[in-house]
Amino acid sequence: MIPFDMVEPTSLQEAIALLDPEDGSVRPVAGGTALMLMMKAGVFQPSRLVCLHRIEPSYARIAIKDGGALQIGAMATLSQLEYDVNVGKHFPVLKRTLRTLSNPRVRNVARVGGALAHGDPHMDLPPVLAALGARITIASRKGNRELPLEQLYAGYYETVLNKDELITTVTVPALDGRKAAYIKVTSRTADDWPALGVAVSFAVKNGAIHDPVVVVSAATEKVTRMANAERLLQGRAAEDAALNRAGDAAADEASIHSDAHGTAAYKRELLRVCLRRAVRKALSADAEVRP
Amino acid sequence: MNQVGRDFPRLEVRAKVTGRAEYTHHLRLPGMLYGKVFRSTVPHGRILHIDTEAARKLPGVHRVITGEDIKKLIPEPYYGPAFHDQPILALEKVRHVGEPVAVVLASDPHVAEQGVQLISAEYEELPAVYDEVQAMKPDILVHEVLKPAGTFADLKHLKDRGGTNVALDYHLRRGDVDGALAKADHVIEHTFKTQQCLHVAFEPFVSVADPGDSKLTIYTANQSPSFVRIEIARLFGWPENRVRVKVPYVGGGFGGKLYIKLEALVAALAMLVRRPVKIALTMEEQFYVITKHPTTFRIKSGVTKDGRIIARSCEVHWNGGAYADIGPRVAQKSGFTAAGPYDIDNVSVDSYEMYTNRTPAGALRCFGIPQLVWAYESHTDLIAREIGMDPVEFRHKNLLRNGRPQASGTILKDAAIPEVFQALVKRMNWDAPFDRGAGILRRGRGIAIALKAVISPTTSVAVINISADGSITLFTGSVDMGQGSDTAYALIVGEVLGVPAEDVRVVHSDTDVTPYDMGTLGSRSFYHMGNAVRLAAEDARGKLRALATEAGLPEGTNYPPVEIFKKRYGMQAGNVIGTATFLPTYSPPDAQGLSSNVTPFWMVGGAGAEVEVDTETGHVRVLRLVNAADCGKPINPAVARTQLSGAAIMQLGFTLSEAMHLDGGQVTNASLADYKIPGMADIPPIECELVTAEQHNGPFGAKGLGESGTFGVSPAIANAIHDAVGVRIMELPITAEAVLRALRAKEGRPLDDE
Repeated sequence: MIPFDMVEPTSLQEAIALLDPEDGSVRPVAGGTALMLMMKAGVFQPSRLVCLHRIEPSYARIAIKDGGALQIGAMATLSQLEYDVNVGKHFPVLKRTLRTLSNPRVRNVARVGGALAHGDPHMDLPPVLAALGARITIASRKGNRELPLEQLYAGYYETVLNKDELITTVTVPALDGRKAAYIKVTSRTADDWPALGVAVSFAVKNGAIHDPVVVVSAATEKVTRMANAERLLQGRAAEDAALNRAGDAAADEASIHSDAHGTAAYKRELLRVCLRRAVRKALSADAEVRP
Repeated sequence: MNQVGRDFPRLEVRAKVTGRAEYTHHLRLPGMLYGKVFRSTVPHGRILHIDTEAARKLPGVHRVITGEDIKKLIPEPYYGPAFHDQPILALEKVRHVGEPVAVVLASDPHVAEQGVQLISAEYEELPAVYDEVQAMKPDILVHEVLKPAGTFADLKHLKDRGGTNVALDYHLRRGDVDGALAKADHVIEHTFKTQQCLHVAFEPFVSVADPGDSKLTIYTANQSPSFVRIEIARLFGWPENRVRVKVPYVGGGFGGKLYIKLEALVAALAMLVRRPVKIALTMEEQFYVITKHPTTFRIKSGVTKDGRIIARSCEVHWNGGAYADIGPRVAQKSGFTAAGPYDIDNVSVDSYEMYTNRTPAGALRCFGIPQLVWAYESHTDLIAREIGMDPVEFRHKNLLRNGRPQASGTILKDAAIPEVFQALVKRMNWDAPFDRGAGILRRGRGIAIALKAVISPTTSVAVINISADGSITLFTGSVDMGQGSDTAYALIVGEVLGVPAEDVRVVHSDTDVTPYDMGTLGSRSFYHMGNAVRLAAEDARGKLRALATEAGLPEGTNYPPVEIFKKRYGMQAGNVIGTATFLPTYSPPDAQGLSSNVTPFWMVGGAGAEVEVDTETGHVRVLRLVNAADCGKPINPAVARTQLSGAAIMQLGFTLSEAMHLDGGQVTNASLADYKIPGMADIPPIECELVTAEQHNGPFGAKGLGESGTFGVSPAIANAIHDAVGVRIMELPITAEAVLRALRAKEGRPLDDE
């Protein structure tokens, strides 16, 4: 490992000032679980790391706002989210997702903001939060801007964040009775990076799926919404024929490539099956809700 | 109190769980330099130029060493247990991606690492061969000439030949296979394949060399310190006593840390710079050191209509990679059991150890047996299906029993094949109704059984010191790498000398004080070293009695040892040294590959699996894994059970998820993020059954057990999948995708290739 500077600012503004809009070798580090692996492998060699551990603790707060929206400070650890009572009660899909996200050692250290900004399509939080309609607040020298999470990703390990921008908050709208589920499929071992992630959320009106959101990850180069599949689910009862049509549409629509987790043909097949399973899981998930 | 047969916790557990156990990784010597390795990026090529200029100029770099520098110190810098084919650093040619080409030395390992990134090399790329069957064609040669090592007794026949990639070919001819096949009612043939895998020990390879005054000390994580001493002494042209090899605890070996790995390199570097040198590999670098052989196994059987196997022909190609390591022994030793634990009159075996341009392959928990069992027990199940017989009944009909000749001609003795099989059948409730599932999730079950011979002939020597206060120290060259050998020997010493095992001190390998041992490998140690330890303890007991007589004590009195020493020497002084050497008898195979005495003992192991298959995704969940093995009379049943379950977990990874992927000679998944070993969530409930028998010539009736738990796992799972959903997987690993592809092909709607 080649020597580099590590700075520990004590405020968000100071941290932003230490970032460099032009220099990719200056990077913020939150939990560091992903960045350290890249540094160890020699894929990333920093000139300066801006450590965010000492900025204002308010950026690590998790709270339910008026109207039931969930506000997550970007510096909250994944296990804070996992064990937050309100998250378990009002957003059970998040708690379930976190239980199989990596392992407790990583969840104790990794931060929500880092998990979103890293841009690796194999991660679990981005598809789930995107399916829940989460929005992110981004701070820079110029002030704050807001963005739907699904618009954060530009490609494989690529986001629309500028080099001197930091995610400060994630806001998840209240579920308001919407159903949601996430299915991750690993093709080798249980702790493998997923071959495919499918997250869905939808309302149920008169026994039919209403306003569905279908998000695919891992098999695609970025977290991607499946517009055709959503259209085919809209207004349909969750019956095999409708779900299979939506699965076929998603398999056609998603841009999937072969890799170590499986061939594109296999992953398309997984998508067909798992879209149906995700909708069914969302509908049956109420029974699993634990406070 | 009886010591042998106790459920006795391992002696070192407290030191290990409190972090006090000594490992080579902890060692730092004054003035020590760290070496980092620059590796080949091409699979086969002539070295045109190595540019080390920039690395040399990097502040903090002590020196950069290439193969040519090594040659100035050691004119013939080639090593290996079977052939002297492996250069300490590449010379003239590179033969696989990841082969060590140069080393940067620095006091700071990070500086050394940075130095490595500044080296570049130019190669004239040569055509490469990766497949073990294609390597039979001599158009691409990995080595122009082969230099047999002549070190081990069982490999004395290796030939000095050129123009071939065959390192060793072993042929066995018993009876008349062609004649019997012609008479058989069914002739059934299949080809099975296995993949390249890795040992993945928790402790990656690490060695330190410390040059002294006319001597050299090597501290290393190695399973065969005596061989290291002999080989390093040979390279330098020294007597053995100038080389001292010390091995503390080893964090897992599984056959990977046998023979020479980093030892010759650190030794040469330390002698060149006259300072201690340490090389500790990363997890990722392990993918370029030693692996498990990929194989192609063509197996053909002739069967009568009432279900007797009358002929079997086996053709196995072993992909040994760029350097032979111990591959020739794998091809030969495993070769003669390639027909399985069955009583077959007509057998032919052709077993070929091949050179290719891959990372070398050597021993990995069973010296090739699991690759063979994968094929012959899958094949056996398929035969039973084809002739419409229950797979348990079919095996029962053909099992080899004590008193009958094994394929090699050696009469089977003390091999509990029917007993192990019966234990499996009973545990699996084979005759009870079985819930086969419905809809998307389907269940099935499978069974498999296998036989292994131990490496022979090999020698173990043990020394026991009884100090004047009666306390006992055992000196042994066995390496305790987690298998509990220290504990097992302490039990033997305690049993013979009448002391609690916890009071026996076991001194780890230090070739200045511990005597010769062939190596801790192939489940041989407990049998060979255990016998030597027992005999050494008996020798010490006899000498203590003689001392009592000399001291004028009456015969048969039970004076404590301290009183005997005091009486004899007038004070607490003196020692009693007991020693013994154990070498079993052996007959080498003749021109037909036959021998009347091919092994001193047999290992028998089998597995049963119940699986659930998701027919929409191909995922296989192992619901239950039963593992049974003949362990003779277990010395320490608690440790024996963990040996069986540990072996089963390891083989489970080789069955379902582990595979090194290659693209143009490059390993594309050389990290634990992409080479997937089982995690806790992947491990099913494992039931281990110790089948107790008597190994007449084993120490207290026991035999080796470290590998038996791997034998049956892969085919038992494949057989269970076939039972569940009617498809047969012919190649490991059995991935979810492979299962789904087979299912869809069977349904006539195959998945696209890409």
